[in-house]
Amino acid sequence: MKAKMVKTLGALGLFLAASGVWTTKSEAQSAPAPEIAGVENAVLTDAPNVPPPITRKYATKVIVDLEVQELTKRLADGVDYVFWTFGGSVPGKFIRIREGDEVEFHLHNHQDNKMPHNIDLHAVTGPGGGAASSFTAPGHSSQFSFEALNPGLYVYHCATAPVGMHIGNGMYGLILVEPKEGLPPVDHEYYVMQGEFYTAGKYGDQGLQTFDMDKAVDERPTYVVFNGAVGSLTGDNALTANVGDTVRIYFGNGGPNLASSFHVIGDQFDTLYQDGTMTNQLHDVQTTLVPPGSAVIVDFKVKVPGNYTLVDHSIFRAFNKGAAGTLTVTGPENPIIYSGKQADTIYAGKPLAETPAISSALQPIKPEAPSLNTALSEQYTRGKQIYLQTCFVCHQPNGLGVAGQIPPLAKSNVLMNDKTGAIRGVLQGRSGELTVNGKKYNGIMIPFPKLTDQQVADVMTYVRNSWGNSDSNSVTAGEVKDLRRGVPALVANPFE
Amino acid sequence: MQEKPNLHCRAARLRSCWWIAGCLMLALAAKAGPANMVLIPNGLYHPLFLSANDLKEVPVKSFYLDAFPVTVKDFLEFLRANPRWQRSRVKRIFADESYLNNWAGDLDPGTNAPASSPVTYVSWFAAKAYAEWKGKRLPTVAEWEYAASASATRPDGESDPRFKAEILQWYSTPTPLVLPAVGADTANFFGAHNLHGLVWEWVADFNSALIAGDPGSNGVSERRFFCGAGSQGAREVDDYPAFMRYAFRSSLKADYCVHNLGFRCARDL
Amino acid sequence: MKKTKLSFALATALLMTARLSQASELGTNTPVRSCCAAMETPGSVPAYTDKSLYQVESTWTTDTGKAMKLGSLAGKPQVILMFFSKCTSACPILMNDLKRISAALTPQERTQVGFTMVSFDTDHDTPLALAEYRQTWDLPVRNWTLLSGRQDDVLELAALLGVKYKAAADGQFAHSNAITVLNAKGEIVHQQVGLNEDISETVQTLIKLVKN
Repeated sequence: MKAKMVKTLGALGLFLAASGVWTTKSEAQSAPAPEIAGVENAVLTDAPNVPPPITRKYATKVIVDLEVQELTKRLADGVDYVFWTFGGSVPGKFIRIREGDEVEFHLHNHQDNKMPHNIDLHAVTGPGGGAASSFTAPGHSSQFSFEALNPGLYVYHCATAPVGMHIGNGMYGLILVEPKEGLPPVDHEYYVMQGEFYTAGKYGDQGLQTFDMDKAVDERPTYVVFNGAVGSLTGDNALTANVGDTVRIYFGNGGPNLASSFHVIGDQFDTLYQDGTMTNQLHDVQTTLVPPGSAVIVDFKVKVPGNYTLVDHSIFRAFNKGAAGTLTVTGPENPIIYSGKQADTIYAGKPLAETPAISSALQPIKPEAPSLNTALSEQYTRGKQIYLQTCFVCHQPNGLGVAGQIPPLAKSNVLMNDKTGAIRGVLQGRSGELTVNGKKYNGIMIPFPKLTDQQVADVMTYVRNSWGNSDSNSVTAGEVKDLRRGVPALVANPFE
Repeated sequence: MQEKPNLHCRAARLRSCWWIAGCLMLALAAKAGPANMVLIPNGLYHPLFLSANDLKEVPVKSFYLDAFPVTVKDFLEFLRANPRWQRSRVKRIFADESYLNNWAGDLDPGTNAPASSPVTYVSWFAAKAYAEWKGKRLPTVAEWEYAASASATRPDGESDPRFKAEILQWYSTPTPLVLPAVGADTANFFGAHNLHGLVWEWVADFNSALIAGDPGSNGVSERRFFCGAGSQGAREVDDYPAFMRYAFRSSLKADYCVHNLGFRCARDL
Repeated sequence: MKKTKLSFALATALLMTARLSQASELGTNTPVRSCCAAMETPGSVPAYTDKSLYQVESTWTTDTGKAMKLGSLAGKPQVILMFFSKCTSACPILMNDLKRISAALTPQERTQVGFTMVSFDTDHDTPLALAEYRQTWDLPVRNWTLLSGRQDDVLELAALLGVKYKAAADGQFAHSNAITVLNAKGEIVHQQVGLNEDISETVQTLIKLVKN
């Protein structure tokens, strides 16, 4: 009897336990969901604009409607390309949500598109980042939902085979999951995304260009651009800010292949959220590496007006392939932080290569003080400096020239008797047979048209009063000016 | 099949030329096959996605294939004869809401569907029904891919990089609202037109493309979703046109009607 | 002895009632995902609506050799599985899923739900082979239908169900693992994809269909 009782109880107990397990399992299946209050439609924007910061302090259900469009747009001046886009532009729409939000994602594939598409958002935790649940034929829509578990700035892109081609045609964008406490406010927020394009033609080849698979596989892009086209952020499209503003750039790299060395010429990143994460903030960074499929947030305060160039510092991409944009800052100057050019003077350093018989120390020429009435001695002093910078190379510091080749100036009959000819020689050069002090010379004197009237007058005054030469009448700037008028160079000017 | 006329000819050699002429005509007719169909000879199809125990080469028996995609004009005839396939009467289970979307009315193609353009916005069920009505069938993936592997000048266009480049170029060109007429291109080696560069085409076993919906992972099928698929690998990762056709077929359901998706028929010998 | 058995039976009954009431509560909390047609309250005579699979004209043969159209399945919700008997990997698991679903229903509910298995393998899975299969896997005789058909009809049904499949060289089939629920009219109301999946949604769907 006892044994039977035990058996019965045991069996009952087992049964109870089993049903208890069943119950528990069912209860576990309906675990409490995070506190989601309300529904809203996501505000989506085209680059370089960003949706406004999120002000709510609670998680909500966000509905995102994103339409894929395959369409022809400008890649560069005179260059068109068929882009595959999330929302009609490259990069795709900027999506802004908050940590903890539940996102109901609708991917629409326009009926005129040729290809099936899907989406992989790096903010999604789940197979394919959503790609497994959003594969959509043209003329159809897919829906899936996910919870935004991790804050940060994330890339999204199409993941339909061949993936490289879909990305290479422009299918990427950014989704920002704001942390619960939000981001520090700034004056301007901008959306910039780098990507490469691989075209059958060369850079700048006009007309409709097609995708080149071989170049893509070999990682040899034709274009490396910001926001889907050369010049998307230059000229009238430049980003703007005022002196004293804080600027935030949400910068992403769609790739498909190249990593970007993002840099803003003329400024530093005061605060940088490395790799788009909230947990690793750096300060005072000059250039940051953004791999394809990654992003970064940079904050900086602009303090000096001017044009700041955004570049990929792999510099040939910036200047030869299009990876350059402009941030124009307007406002008052701040000469303490940046003075602008303070001086622009002539500089003549020591000769870089050795030349014979140069002994005298060279002094830089002081800037010419403009003056109409100058004393002979002042002209002599200035003229000596000019001579020792320029003329001495041929005529030598001692004015003796080079035997058989360069006529002397010391006690030169030609110099002293033909003042006009001598001035002309400086202005327009000289060639042909010339007899100086009974010796024949047949060389070329190059012209010096860059010397001002006053400088020519000064150096002429100096040579006509040196090495035994004497002329109490100085040469005036006016004389030189008269002689200069309408005087073409007789000899090719090597300085031009 | 060709021996018969010869026998006839041998036997009738002593008679007038009429018989010879008749034989020749018969011979020509026999070779040409059904109207507007081309003979695709025996060959081998190299599947794009393979499991470990799949054949690397699938033999394709010779068959007839429509030289052109089925046109709007062709399909209109079908609709007259089969009213239940007209747009306002078709069962939703056999065609989704976009069925014949670009037509003006049940029996009026309208300006967006010119008579000699390929008929699109048709579902797999509609395509199958048309083929059956014509005494034909849809080609299989293997048959279609094999026929389409020929370039204009060679039966094996796979090793012609220009051929692939031309196909890829089509993907870079936008779909026009009104599709152009069939037959404007050069026929391929087998005599078929528009296998590339005009519309995607339905095949009988389109649903044999076992991709779970994330074809980006190079087609590695998920064991959880597919029985027996094992781990499939792509044969030639750089055969992007084939990749894209595969991906496109995977995105389809049988009732889908798509702007640039049409079809053509096949027939056994 | 008898008393023990009685009390046992009583306890079982009590527990089952308790679980049932719980189950219906669960039904209102967890939303049932309908993939296609809305779940209509089936009338007494199901008509072939626009979205009913029973509109197809195909003829099939059961494992008892009876010829039938799919429309014969109308009147009861059906749980449909496409399989093939020589499968050694997923199909046994799927079959087990079907059995689990069946076991999750009350005996009363079980009489009002049909389980239909259709084979891809038109070459090998003749009615006789299917009859053997039923024996081997101990499938119930009532309400469980095994169907063999023409290749073309199998292709059409798979297309309607959204099931993908491909014949492999060795006579096996690669196919998607899907269990589909049709309502009494033959419209698809639910589909469960994968192996050893959580069957609760499928079960809930069936219970709701039966209730109405």
